[in-house]
Amino acid sequence: MIVLVILLIPFIAGLLLLLNRNAAAVKLVALASAIVSLVATLSLVFTAQLSSYSVIWINFLEIKFALGYDGTSLIMLILTSLLFPFIIMAGMKREQQNVSLLYALILFTQSALTGVFLAQNAFLFYIFWELTLIPLYFILLLWGGEGRRNVTFKFFIYTLTGSLFLLFGIIYLYSLTPGVHTTDFSAFSNLNIPANTQIWLFWVLFIAFAIKMPVFPFHTWQPSTYTMAPTQGVMILAGVMTKMGIYGALRFLFPVIPLGVHYWQNTIIILSLIGVIYASVIAFRQTNLKTLIAFSSMAHVSLMVAAMFVLNYYAVQGLLFQVLSHGVTIVALFYIVMLIEEKAGTLELPKLGGIKLLAPNMAILFLLVVLGSIALPLTAGFVGEFLIITGLFQQSIWFAVFGGITMVLGAIYMLYAYQRVMLGEKRPGSGNITDLKRIDYIVLIPLITIILVLGIYPQPVFNLVEASVTTMQNLLVPVAEVIPALPL
Amino acid sequence: MNAIIFTTILGIIILYFGLTKNKTILAPTAIAGLLVTLFLSFKDWGLSSSFFHNMVIFDNFSVAFNISMIVITIIIFLFGIDYYKMMEFHVAEQYSLMIFALVGAFLMTSFSNLIMLFLGIEILSIPLYILAGGKKFSFKSNEASFKYFMLGSFATAFFLFGIALVYGASATFYLPEIKIYIAQFHGNLPPMLLIGLLFIIIGVAFKVAVAPFHFWSPDVYEGSPTLVTAFMATVVKTAGFAAFYRLLGIGLLPLPESLEKALWVMTGLTLLIGNLVALKQSNFKRLLAYSSIAHSGFIMLAMLSQHSSSASVILYYTFIYSVATVPLFIIFILVKRASNGHDHIAAFQGLYKKKPWIAVFMTILLMSMAGIPPTAGFLAKYQVFVLSISQGYLAISIFAILMAIVGIYYYFNVVREVFTDRDHLEPLLITKLNAGLIIVCGIAVVVMGIFVWHLPI
Repeated sequence: MIVLVILLIPFIAGLLLLLNRNAAAVKLVALASAIVSLVATLSLVFTAQLSSYSVIWINFLEIKFALGYDGTSLIMLILTSLLFPFIIMAGMKREQQNVSLLYALILFTQSALTGVFLAQNAFLFYIFWELTLIPLYFILLLWGGEGRRNVTFKFFIYTLTGSLFLLFGIIYLYSLTPGVHTTDFSAFSNLNIPANTQIWLFWVLFIAFAIKMPVFPFHTWQPSTYTMAPTQGVMILAGVMTKMGIYGALRFLFPVIPLGVHYWQNTIIILSLIGVIYASVIAFRQTNLKTLIAFSSMAHVSLMVAAMFVLNYYAVQGLLFQVLSHGVTIVALFYIVMLIEEKAGTLELPKLGGIKLLAPNMAILFLLVVLGSIALPLTAGFVGEFLIITGLFQQSIWFAVFGGITMVLGAIYMLYAYQRVMLGEKRPGSGNITDLKRIDYIVLIPLITIILVLGIYPQPVFNLVEASVTTMQNLLVPVAEVIPALPL
Repeated sequence: MNAIIFTTILGIIILYFGLTKNKTILAPTAIAGLLVTLFLSFKDWGLSSSFFHNMVIFDNFSVAFNISMIVITIIIFLFGIDYYKMMEFHVAEQYSLMIFALVGAFLMTSFSNLIMLFLGIEILSIPLYILAGGKKFSFKSNEASFKYFMLGSFATAFFLFGIALVYGASATFYLPEIKIYIAQFHGNLPPMLLIGLLFIIIGVAFKVAVAPFHFWSPDVYEGSPTLVTAFMATVVKTAGFAAFYRLLGIGLLPLPESLEKALWVMTGLTLLIGNLVALKQSNFKRLLAYSSIAHSGFIMLAMLSQHSSSASVILYYTFIYSVATVPLFIIFILVKRASNGHDHIAAFQGLYKKKPWIAVFMTILLMSMAGIPPTAGFLAKYQVFVLSISQGYLAISIFAILMAIVGIYYYFNVVREVFTDRDHLEPLLITKLNAGLIIVCGIAVVVMGIFVWHLPI
């Protein structure tokens, strides 16, 4: 029952916001709702019994409205409910237009994302998967920056294209289920689909997730969308939406079409590693701080995708850990980007410089976040990426080498950017910058604390995901002999 | 049967009301009459009565389709109250012609004999030829009427010729007997029968604007008075597909391979042409015309998948499509009036600024047309795909999905305009009645997406 509550809190709060015109009150209600969701989600961690909810929805199509969760979903749910209070706080004490609609849309997105992670059958999953897109589309279209008309359109069509292939895949799997057709995940994972079918079905299902994550070469919507998006929109996109792609792949690909995954495993790992290097190199050449961070996010997520397709013990552990750590880090990064843009009026690196002289506290906090992002030991990023690279190493030394390059390249472009923005002499762009306000500390200090605490003591997260890691690492083992993987 | 008789009388009564020159009583009378028809139709549910030596059969299938068409006509008439306020002459004729067309539509859902189908199509079409030319002094309206009449007669000729050839071969007009006659050849039909069947299919395909017999529809949709276009795009389309399904799904399918192949090719072409040409349309009415062709493709897909639930899926699909289409046309009329006859989709710019709620509901309606959850349009498409994929038609399903993506593109092109600002905003007047109806239709589209129905027809 509590899962239904978690799903409905943001939705109902969002509806209530639409009735309210007072900007300050709207933000407080939104924040309160997000905090209640967080508490409710955390209560799932501490209750031993799994909560679930199921009613029949469409009888003749055998569709149930079934909610539930396992270790993987729980990590995603914690991520979502953890990030949304910060995403909402990112708008606190700031002038925004049409506040009640904006926060209602943010909460609707949260509700839909929660639904994706709770859905227990593919149909419901698909409905929520699409539903996340609608409020976000309007957040980007109505509050976005320059060029939003065309960029949001491209983003929308791009992601929907993937989704419709997923829909085909879902219906195809549905038509394969024995007896009375159903879309339950449990029924899907018991299908014995012939290897030849799995090989093509892999791409039908994977494209939707690949676009969301995004995996090279399906990433072309991402940089322009991130750059144009309002801060809160980009936080949702980078913090949670990318993880939605990973979650979907874990749900649909590995249990349902293990042979297909095995066949394409190396291809996808190589594509992801290309994405890692490519995004890092491009990030290095960026002159806009927001675009730079967009590409850095792509590099990190690509590494996670590589880990996902290696799917051994360390890789999965690292992946699920990194889901959390990347989400927190990227939200903190984009928060600082917003601060700089707000104070300096520009994000062009050549125009910025010497901000440390004017805002030393901001410089310190920014440095901590950057260190978390480049996976310095004792930060959460290190734990995740170290495990991922260990996992890659077990598969092939070359994967580990190229994966490891991200950490090096990441350090180069992030520190270089930090240097250009914060250090050096004052530049015209950073003319009248003031230091952090109280609200900024309230947002940044907890985020940085999470990054550090998870880096020093990651065990609670591992305990949480232990069960799913054990099941998942076994998914690929029994089929490894049935068909050979595509040679390198 | 009572429904047909009553509706015919209703049409005549409305025609006489026109003599009183009192416009205000027309719409209420028509709507009240249609409500009675609705009631009469509900009473026929489950009775499955037949008339005139089984030439007309009122089974659940026809009752369900009739009810759906009556509901849509009522919605159109409700919008008509405001629409016809500005019109001075011939308002009564407009209402009664639509009611007469509805009678033809009733026949098309309930025939069991090719002659009755012919009668139904003609009773439906002739009022439409007149309605299309409703704006007497508009060049485009005249063109629409003339084009529709010429091409419509041409299609009718094909259709009649087909019936004659089939009769010549099988010596019967009754569908079940024709089906038995066809079955005895085990796929190798004599040329006369084959050509006869092909001509019949072409005749009906013309009426529902299935490619390659769709060329009339964009011009006619564009030129006709917009409310008439809404009627054509919804009620006439529903009737056409009900007839098509009765002819093929209930009547003749499975047909010999060559004919089925022709039907599949028509489906593919319809999806392709409808969607791709819609991409390039900047005129909203033409856009909806091509989108309507595209939707025909999906309905064809459901029909040719030949499953016991096809009929219900087609009913659901056409009904959802109609409920979304009518208000879209109405919003277009209002926007066009506000912008001095501008019928480009850019006319929607600034709608969100002017009337945010109308913009929101228009978005919901367009989402339903595009088939995006949580609207009913998504469940309609979902059911079509469930049918076609579980019947094993994978290639055409993938193709249809690609075309659905194209569909999303052009519908959201309109959404983008709705949410784009413009400097000079002309005031947009929407009466409470119209706004209420648009909102009701928008809510209906969402509610039917949550409470999905399936009828045993």
